[in-house]
Parts: sequence; C-alpha cells; structure tokens
Amino acid sequence: MSMVAEKESTASNDAAGTPILSVRDLVVEFPRPNNTPFRAVNGVSFELRQGETLGIVGESGSGKTMIALSILGIVPLPGRIIEGSITLLGKRIDNLSLAELQKVRGNDVGIVFQDPMTGLNPVRNVGSQLKESVRRHQHVSAAEATEIAFHALDDVGIPAARDRLKAYPHELSGGLRQRVMIALALINHPDLIVADEPTTALDSTIQAQILDLLRARLDKSTIIMITHDLGVAAEICDRISVMYAGRMVETGSIADVLSGPRHPYTEGLLAAVPKFDVRRPTLVPIPGQPPTADDAITGCSFAPRCTHAQSKCNERPELELIDGRPVSCWFPRPGAAG
Amino acid sequence: MTDVVKGSENETAPVEQPGTQTPSISQGDVETVPVLTNLSRTLGKRFFELLVLLFAISTLLFFLLRLTGDPAAVLAGETGDEEQLELIRKQYGLDKPLIVQYGVFLSKVAVLDFGKSLANAQDAMGLVWERLPTSFTLVLIAFSANLIVSIPLGAWLGSRPDRRTRKAGSAFIFVAQGIPGYITGLILIQIFAVELRWLPSIGNQGPASWIMPAITLASFQAPHVIRVISANVSEAMREDFIRTARANGAGFHTLLWKHALKNAMMGATALIGIQVAFLLSGSIITEVIFAWPGLGRLLVVSVQTLDFPVVQAAVFMIAIFVYTAITLTDIVFLFIDPRLRRQRA
Ligand SMILES: Nc1ncnc2c1ncn2[C@@H]1O[C@H](COP(=O)(O)OP(=O)(O)OP(=O)(O)O)[C@@H](O)[C@H]1O
Ligand SMILES: [Mg+2]
Repeated sequence: MSMVAEKESTASNDAAGTPILSVRDLVVEFPRPNNTPFRAVNGVSFELRQGETLGIVGESGSGKTMIALSILGIVPLPGRIIEGSITLLGKRIDNLSLAELQKVRGNDVGIVFQDPMTGLNPVRNVGSQLKESVRRHQHVSAAEATEIAFHALDDVGIPAARDRLKAYPHELSGGLRQRVMIALALINHPDLIVADEPTTALDSTIQAQILDLLRARLDKSTIIMITHDLGVAAEICDRISVMYAGRMVETGSIADVLSGPRHPYTEGLLAAVPKFDVRRPTLVPIPGQPPTADDAITGCSFAPRCTHAQSKCNERPELELIDGRPVSCWFPRPGAAG
Repeated sequence: MTDVVKGSENETAPVEQPGTQTPSISQGDVETVPVLTNLSRTLGKRFFELLVLLFAISTLLFFLLRLTGDPAAVLAGETGDEEQLELIRKQYGLDKPLIVQYGVFLSKVAVLDFGKSLANAQDAMGLVWERLPTSFTLVLIAFSANLIVSIPLGAWLGSRPDRRTRKAGSAFIFVAQGIPGYITGLILIQIFAVELRWLPSIGNQGPASWIMPAITLASFQAPHVIRVISANVSEAMREDFIRTARANGAGFHTLLWKHALKNAMMGATALIGIQVAFLLSGSIITEVIFAWPGLGRLLVVSVQTLDFPVVQAAVFMIAIFVYTAITLTDIVFLFIDPRLRRQRA
C-alpha cells in the first residue's frame, strides 16, 4: 500500500507543471504487401493534465483504439508505432524495454476495453484474474491480494463482492463483467485510465450505470474516454478531440466544440445527433464513406465528403489555433458566432 | 475446436447463458448446480450406455460364432471327427435350440463367465485379467510420455507469432502423422536394438524394455495432440482476454501458460479422452511388434487360433476400458471447465 501512496504523491506534484500524459506526433503504421503502409494513426498530438478527462470521438476505423493501444505499447502486429513520443509522468514510455513496459501496463496506466464479454478469461475466475494483476505490481501476500481484489470489486458497485471473486465470467451479466473490467483497470491505482468505448457493448440502462460509475471517479482520475457517442462525451469529458482518418481534426473544451464546431466534420457529426443542434429539425447524415486503407489522399482526408471543399483542400491543412483551439481546416466553420 | 467439446456435451450442459442483469444478481450463485449433481448424472448416463454396448457386443459375438458355420467344428478344430463333435455339442449345449443357447450365453456373460480357453483350458477371463497389468503398464507410460511431450510442444508451437516456425512445425506434424506406428517401431528396433544394442526389443524385461514400445505407442497419438494444442493455443493467443492480460502487464509466459493454454486444454481434453479410449486398441500393434505379453497380443493370438472364449473376454474388457476412459474424460471436463461445473438451473 505504501507504493500506492507514493505514486499518488508524485502524481499531485506533477499536477501543477508537466502533464500526466503527453503524446507527440504519434504515427501507427500497418504494413501492406505491395503497397505503402497504412497509417491508422497519422501524426496525433495531445496532452492530459492531472484530473482531466479527454474525450476522443470519431467514426469507426478512425484510429481511436490504436491510440489507446499505443499508450500501453500493445499495438497488434504487424502494426507498429513508427514515429512520435509518448511521455507519461515526465518519462518517455514509447521506447522502454518490454520488461519496463510491463511495469507500466496495469500499474501506471489502466485500460477498460469495449467488450466485457470476451475481455475476461472464461476459464479463470474473476478473483484470480484480479489478483494476478495485483501481485504483479504490488508486493503483497496472496491473502492481501484477495482483500485488495475484494475491495476493488466492492468499489465498482458489485453486490456480494466477496462471493463474486470465485465467480467465472460466464456467471456474470454484461454489466457486471464491465464493472469487473473497470475494477481490473483501477486495481493498482493507475495515474491514467484509458476507457475504450466502455459502454458501447452494453444496453442503455446498463450504459447509464457504467457512466455513473466512471463519473464518480472523475475527480480523482485522469481519463481518456474513447467513444463515438457524443452524448457520452458531453456528459463526462472536459475536453474533446475529434478524429478523422487517423488525425485529430479539432480539439477544444467540450462546450466550445459542441456549441461552435469549427471543422466541417465535427459540424457534420453534431448534425447527425439531433439534441446538440436545435437549429436542425432532422438528422443529417454525413454523405459518403470515411477513406479506406486503399484511398491515397494527399490533401485533407475529409475533403471528398466535405460540402465546403475547394481546390485548396487538395493540400493538407495543418492544425492551427482558431479561437485558441487547434483545428485543421482551410475553411473553418464560423463556430458559435455564425 | 471448442465446437467438438460443446457438441459432445450437449445433453449435459447448455454452455453459455445470456446474462440477466441486476435484481436477481445476488442469487446467481445459489441458482447454480453443484458439481456432484452433474457428476452422478454423467456417470449414470455412461453406465447405462455401457450396459447397452456390452449387451450388443455379446449378442454380436454370439451370432458371429454361429454364423461362421458349425461352432462345434470350430471348437473341435481341424482334427475333430463326428464323435468328438457330438461330444462338444453336448458339452457346450450346442444341441439345444438357438434361443436357449443365447439365454445361457447371456446369463454367463452377465457374471463375466466366458468359459475356458480352447488352447489351454484356463478360464478365459482369468487369462485376460492376467495380461491386463502388463498392457496397462505400457499404456500408462505411453500416455504420460505423450502428454508430457505434446502439451508443452504444442503450446510452444502455437504461441509462435511468426509464420515460418508454425509452418515448419505443422509440416513436421503432418509427416509424423502419416508415418504408421509399426514403421516407427521397426525403425526404433533397427537403431536401438539391432545397431546400437542399447535396448531389448522383445518382451517385458523391466524399464529398459518399456522405452521403445512406449515411444511407438505414443507416436500414434502425439502428433494429433500437438496439432490440436498448437491450433487451440494460437487461436487463444488472439482472444480479447489475452489483450486484457497483456494490458495489465502480463508477460509472455503468463499469457501462454496461465491464460492461453488453459483455454486450449478445453478443446484438447475431448481429443485426449478419445485417445485414452483407443490406447488399448492402439497397443495391439505395438504389443505384436515388441512381443509384449499384454492383452493386445493375447487378442491377436486368440483370433489366429480361433480361441473364441478368450476373444470374447478380451473384446469385452476393451469395451469396458474404452467406456471407462470416456467417462473419465467427462469427469475431467466437469472439473476443468467452469462453464460445465456450475451452470444455472
Ligand atoms: N491488424 C490490423 N491490420 C491492418 N489494419 C488494421 C489492423 N487493426 C486495425 N487496423 C486499421 O487501423 C484503423 C484504426 O483502427 P481502430 O481500431 O483504432 O479504429 P477505431 O477508431 O477504434 O474504430 P472503432 O470505433 O470501430 O473501434 C482501422 O482503419 C483498421 O482498419
Ligand atoms: Mg475501437
């Protein structure tokens, strides 16, 4: 337990100055036979400060999960991080040895995956999977690990937590399993929590419960919340980054982005969700499809679907500060003012 | 591979149940069926099947003997004259109506009385009992050797992410699978008994003489186990729960041995159980090659000499063994697969 206290104190020292997490120019590539490699993440940068919750939204395939996996150094082969740096608590973690990385995983960074049905080992009980992670990162006895596991389950609102330690995943409902996944992510008191669409696989009442659970942790934790549900992002996040085709096209405070989107893609996303835009009576789907791996786009990757695209859009727009927040668009939308 | 498992277990357990959320959660454990209920149900079912099977086998054996011609002639052998035949008919009750003979035969089979061996007038079942420990020794050593080598090898092979190693491995297994067991046995004898003179090639003469027959018998089955384990492990290594474990800092060995292999064993247990069942029959060839004084050799010799009582007793024993093995597999399943162990009522 002393380790934990120590860790939390370092974290609060950092709060004032350096960010908890800093990702710079991250590029994740998947090699393709007889072709240029596919960039699932294409030059992404962002920072998180202590206690902050960053939402990452974007369509399926835009590279959200790859960012999460990059932070933990578990991008699936043949994918690789080929550029960029990831700094956690002032320490580069993208070039660590495997043994050092394993100390970061589950200890400094905890991750909750989308699908609680397949995310736990079906032939090992919940307790043993929690304890495995505890004993890897904390020097405690088996009995102490059991207690820690019990409290972890209890903390995420699992009823009869002590009995649940002996339960196998198939004996638990989807909502309970996701609570177990969250308990697993939190059990070593990580400095950073990454939640990759933690509610997508659940039905709506359970979604609300899991969101409540996450919200209860907000003040204490630094969280990256990946979702393609803008409603979820609006409820939980301080800041939000919109991803399109491996890039972050717009970042800003949740209020700024939702009330005054500057990038046409963000605008389109919002228009597709009725409750955020009272001016539009009906849903307006974004026309077209996101670029596939085979589309070689040299300019703005959203241009083929953008109703405001002009010839200038054949050049790649860089992220530029507009009203103090980064947007990559040659012709940004007027935002709240317009 | 899991499909095989589920298929064979259909009657005993509906495996996955869609979860039901909150209000009744706390009763989840109470609703589960304890392992013993499943166990007795499985045992009961298997025992009943065994009885049916044994009945069918004895009926088959009975009529087979009568179909091959005059059983008295078979029993008397080539030298028997008419007088002897008459005597034998009386002695074996062959002069009675067929249905009566069948009844008598069944009632004797029920108490495991197969009569006396025609070769040496010893009790047929007694002969079988005598040979059983020798066969079991071989089967047990071969089976342990098989598992000790195949499981780690299969797991290692399945955990290799690179295609090259896996391809080379499966090519090797493919070839190994194609080599008939007796070839393996003969090659071993040629090298270790004839050329090097390290190991005895005949009979049961203590541990040194166990090595070659055990390797031969194990080589029938090992390639299958390696293949299934490696396929299952490589499948399991791609599962989401492996990613979860890795994301929590698990290293390669934890992932392989504590997560993937445990899952892979689910699918492999079905195969391994079936292999146990066929060990005795597989050992027939091995016992003949190495003149191993076990049940298999007894069976072959008895068939050659038309010693029907002994053949019947041996076949009976093998059937019982096969069924015991299958039942044991079921029980092992109950203990290693939590989805069968505790299912909701
Ligand atoms: N093993 C792989 N090989 C090749 N490409 C891959 C592989 N895994 C992912 N990708 C590609 O990487 C891109 C980003 O995937 P990622 O999973 O990060 O998307 P996402 O934004 O999380 O989408 P979703 O909302 O569906 O989870 C996708 O376009 C996908 O095609
Ligand atoms: Mg994803």
